[in-house]
Amino acid sequence: MISKEEKFPIAKRYNVADVQVSRDATAVKPVVVVNLIKKAKNPVLITGGSLLREEKLVEIAVKFYEKGIPVIATGGSSKPLIEKGVKPLFKTYTLHQITQFLLDEDFKPNGKSFDVVLFLGFLPYYLSRMLSALKHFSSITTIAIDEFYHPHAKFSFTNLTKDKEMHYAMLEEILSRI
Amino acid sequence: MLMKKGIFVDELRNVVIKIGEIAEEEEEWESPGPTPKPGIIELRKWDHKLLERYEPFYAPMQDFCNLCTMGPCDLSFNKKGACGIDLRTAKARLVTIACCIGASAHTAHARHLVDHLIEEFGEDLPINLGGDVNVEAPLIRTVVGIKPKTLGDLRKALEWAEKEIVKVLHSVHIGNEENFVDYESKAMHVSMADHVGMEVADIAQIVAFGFPKAKPDTDLVPTGFGIVDTKKPVICVVGHNVMYSRPIIDYLERSGRIDEFEVAGLCCTAHDMTRYRSKAKIFGPISYQLRVIRAGLPDVVVSDEQCIRADLVDACSKMGIPLIATSDAAVRGLTDVSDWKAEDIVEALVSGKLKGVFLPVPEKVGEVAPKVAEEIFKRNKDRKYKFFASDDELKAEIAKCTQCMSCVFTCPHNLRIDIGMAQAQKTGDLSKLAILEEQCLACGKCEQSCPKQIKIVNVIMRSNFEKLYAKTGKTRVGRGPIQDTEIRKVGQPIVFGQIPGVIAAVGCINFPDEMKSIVEILEEFLKRKYIVVTSGCHAMDIGMIKDEEGKTLYEKYPGNFDAGCIVNVGSCVSNAHIAGAAIKIANIFAMRPLRGNYAEIADYILNRVGAVGFSWGPYSHKAASIATGFNRLGVPVVVGPHGTKYRRAYIGKPWKNDKWWVYDIKSGKKTFIEPAPDSLLVAVETKEEAIVQLARLCIRPNDTSMGRQIKLTHYIELSKKYMGDLPDDWHIYVRSEADLPLKMREELLKVLEEQHGWKIDWDKKKIVEGPLRGYDAGFNPTVVEEVFAKYRR
Ligand code: SF4
Ligand code: SF4
Ligand code: SF4
Repeated sequence: MISKEEKFPIAKRYNVADVQVSRDATAVKPVVVVNLIKKAKNPVLITGGSLLREEKLVEIAVKFYEKGIPVIATGGSSKPLIEKGVKPLFKTYTLHQITQFLLDEDFKPNGKSFDVVLFLGFLPYYLSRMLSALKHFSSITTIAIDEFYHPHAKFSFTNLTKDKEMHYAMLEEILSRI
Repeated sequence: MLMKKGIFVDELRNVVIKIGEIAEEEEEWESPGPTPKPGIIELRKWDHKLLERYEPFYAPMQDFCNLCTMGPCDLSFNKKGACGIDLRTAKARLVTIACCIGASAHTAHARHLVDHLIEEFGEDLPINLGGDVNVEAPLIRTVVGIKPKTLGDLRKALEWAEKEIVKVLHSVHIGNEENFVDYESKAMHVSMADHVGMEVADIAQIVAFGFPKAKPDTDLVPTGFGIVDTKKPVICVVGHNVMYSRPIIDYLERSGRIDEFEVAGLCCTAHDMTRYRSKAKIFGPISYQLRVIRAGLPDVVVSDEQCIRADLVDACSKMGIPLIATSDAAVRGLTDVSDWKAEDIVEALVSGKLKGVFLPVPEKVGEVAPKVAEEIFKRNKDRKYKFFASDDELKAEIAKCTQCMSCVFTCPHNLRIDIGMAQAQKTGDLSKLAILEEQCLACGKCEQSCPKQIKIVNVIMRSNFEKLYAKTGKTRVGRGPIQDTEIRKVGQPIVFGQIPGVIAAVGCINFPDEMKSIVEILEEFLKRKYIVVTSGCHAMDIGMIKDEEGKTLYEKYPGNFDAGCIVNVGSCVSNAHIAGAAIKIANIFAMRPLRGNYAEIADYILNRVGAVGFSWGPYSHKAASIATGFNRLGVPVVVGPHGTKYRRAYIGKPWKNDKWWVYDIKSGKKTFIEPAPDSLLVAVETKEEAIVQLARLCIRPNDTSMGRQIKLTHYIELSKKYMGDLPDDWHIYVRSEADLPLKMREELLKVLEEQHGWKIDWDKKKIVEGPLRGYDAGFNPTVVEEVFAKYRR
């Protein structure tokens, strides 16, 4: 459990030059993410290509799915997830396409629009652009739970690049509470 | 009279001659189409049609604008700035600016070349691209509406392109466009001009310099970091305009000393040097600049223009390498020595009085570069410099690292330099640093941020030195255009779909993965008998990566424009031949007239030609205009993840059925169709995703049953292999049971019935109900009203 304040690293942007004038993401602890998910009407987890290289992320995504959160798999992440029994809502479209779809209020693949979207397992510079699109052009609550702090998300984990174990522990903490 | 009035008004003094020319042109080839020499407005309707389907998507890098003195303005959440522009439109404007830069680069390059070549060879030098190429300039014919016969004629195409670039650039001034779609239309317009500029440049250099003319089996040239014989003086040329460095070869040949020197290049000038003489070699793409220079490999560097580092004088002088800058696009603060005597220039460079010179006189470059190289070489005894003088020096450099991670947060790939350094400090094991070399762009940003001033690039390169040095393969020399005869052979199978697609891998080097990933992606398609075309940095990366038997793709697959072959067209400007091949399919196979007939041709390509552009590492502005030019021509483009930083994509929404329709010329009806292709510009994150997207975007509404069956077979197989299951959308592309992959027919019919609620007649194994539309062999799709009216008559 990550509870002690001093253990929580500072929120340093994934790229120091990615500076904006508007809202920067609120750096959040697992418990806040838990509350956001609990309050969500229709949350979804989108997974990216890092799942092909980082088995732990597959394990985490599977657990989210098992907790009833639907999964959209991009970047080929569907393959390890399907092998572990996940039935993703989508596996063919790229995050780029999915983001374009999310910007459209008519996009209701499970009957409702998504109001809270969690992102796991992406190249930071790629995810950052998509978070920027969603920030400026939609009212979706975006939550980045990758190892880099994402300024364009509405809520983001802080910077955990130095400490992978802490990142995994934080993900597990969310899962233990939802 | 079909030529536009403006042409006569603009050029009244030449009115008699112009009329003469027009009459002559009309007699000789086709009657003019609706849009010769189009301005911004003429093709706007076509663009809007495309963009209604393929909705622009914006991913801002910045949420502010500071383009004028009213700014900076906060445009976040689509607010408006002081001039009234909103964020979306401001981003569309920015993309338009990027495309203007790209178009200007190629067009100015073409202008330099054409003017210089006319001086050298005269304006009557005929355009002869060999016996197999009669449609010599498909883009110029289609866009400008002329059929160029001589170098002088190319000037007319250039004049048109230059005029349009200026007009579009005008539109990005504050206070102009209000609508982002109209900016996108302008981006498409200027990118079409870019394609014309590229075609002019490449045709001019092919005919004047005697480059290969559509020859499939050009020579193989050594490619990679370790290709030069370090016992010889090394002349390194870098950039995109071979005009300045070509005389080096001439000089060495004239003096009978070509074998005593190594002439090797970086980036597209390297391609074009090898097209001139296959004695020249290719060091590698733009990301090899610092690798090659910091290794001290060259004895002289000759730079020209575009995509070259802006710190070459600095980088070269630190290694004691003199620099000769040649293009007025990059003078670099150097002394202009155009009217100095050659000996004086050599003396100034060799003595070190000048770190570099600006010498825009090609013939003098030809003489000076070898002489300087020879003198510097005499000093450079130990050529295996290996980035550090000794292992101890390397160790001391690594010891300075404090794992502060500043480098990680500036690196475009967030490479974990800190971890590599820590491992090396603790155990002396360099492997975690070595692995970074495979992905490092040698951009040098990390060094700028390192508080300990560690030469990080050198550390990485040295750590992987043996492997880097062993990266030596072969590139098949750029062949230029595609033959008319090849098009005659493959036109029908491409349009009907039996050749499942054409994958055009073009662009720069910021791959999200190791360099070998480009080969892994393309080989998947070569094995499946797609046509693969390539150019520029992608083409030389392919030439560097060998399989277990030491062979590159060029040695394993033939160089024809045919199924299962890989064609290297050449440098950036040779990309025009890829667009040209698509146009030639419409013209040679389908007999569609080209002259000033852009929308009809693009519409033909969109609906029928299963070609997809692929830029795994899109970096430059030129890549933006090349891609956008392909998009206007109806060719979708897949980019690597860095491509999202162009900020704009064109992505359709496949579930919106009312967006996907065509007029069927045969039935005379508006018909709803499957969304094929469903994106015009889209990024992928991984090689697995790239492969699947490329396969799916090759599907076209016009595929025959056989063609659709083949395309679906590959799409489904690749999706199962890389995504772990059937694609989400495969059923949308099924019009009848004949479209289903043979081997999977039963299995798929079952899925259609159970998961999609389709009605199947199991006795006949036929689909009774379900598809969006049925298959009709005479289906003749268009989205252009004028084309519909023309062929319905
Ligand atoms: S161009 Fe418009 S948005 Fe940009 S700084 Fe000027 S006024 Fe502001
Ligand atoms: S030189 Fe290599 S490691 Fe350094 S910032 Fe550039 S890509 Fe990253
Ligand atoms: S910035 Fe320099 S000191 Fe800091 S981790 Fe990187 S290499 Fe080490």
